Amino acid sequence: MSHKCDCGDAEDQLYQYLDSELDEETAASVRSHLDDCGGCHDSFDFYRRLKVVVKNHLAEDMPESLEEKVKELIRHESATA
Amino acid sequence: MADQANFEREALQYSRQLYSAAMRMARNPADAEDLVQETYLKAYRAYDTFEEGTNLKAWLYRILTNTYINKYRKESRRPSETDLGDVEDLYLYRRLGSEDTADVSRTTEDRVLDGLVESDIKAAVEELPENFRMPVLLADLEGFSYKEIAEILDIPIGTVMSRLHRGRKAMQKRLWEFASKRGLLPEDAERP
Repeated sequence: MSHKCDCGDAEDQLYQYLDSELDEETAASVRSHLDDCGGCHDSFDFYRRLKVVVKNHLAEDMPESLEEKVKELIRHESATA
Repeated sequence: MADQANFEREALQYSRQLYSAAMRMARNPADAEDLVQETYLKAYRAYDTFEEGTNLKAWLYRILTNTYINKYRKESRRPSETDLGDVEDLYLYRRLGSEDTADVSRTTEDRVLDGLVESDIKAAVEELPENFRMPVLLADLEGFSYKEIAEILDIPIGTVMSRLHRGRKAMQKRLWEFASKRGLLPEDAERP
């Protein structure tokens, strides 16, 4: 990743961009920078993929019985209230 | 008392997501189940105060988070910023490059992204101090906006951004260590 251009702004905005938190104008200027700068394009792409990997690995299967337990709890609360 | 059927229909659709978040907070299934049950009980009791048409999912996460903090946070409010140390931006990516060119090959990226296993990612997040773990979870697992995270955690949006930034960098540092341990890095990749 060779940074000949001024990529500081784009890097600062990397996660805000990936989190869809930039206003349209700023996002457009980041996109335009990514079109021109291979180094930033590659690093953004890496972090976009990492975000997906993190999300997928953090999810957890809920035990089947839990929803029923919650319902019972609420019904009990409702009956005794 | 809130209408029970209505509450179940509206609120229980988020139970799987709440359980995932509860697992990453409490770090074990028994406590995570307790946390989810307590969250729903509190939510049901307070459902009359919930403003219909506002963000029910965020409201439930706020209750979950507060319940976790009140119940499981041990004596101290210790989680200190200094524990995280100073980690440079793009930490993981920069360390995947070869020392000569700093270029990161697609092969290396793929090897790291495919080679990190579920337990690595979970550990990297769970080891974060709570102040940082919560924003990272809410953003990366749940996809909440910064504004929603600020409301859930009752902190300013600027604080959300800085904790997310620092938390994610610390997470990258851990992931790099896991990748190194698993032999996923190029031989000449920069050492810490």
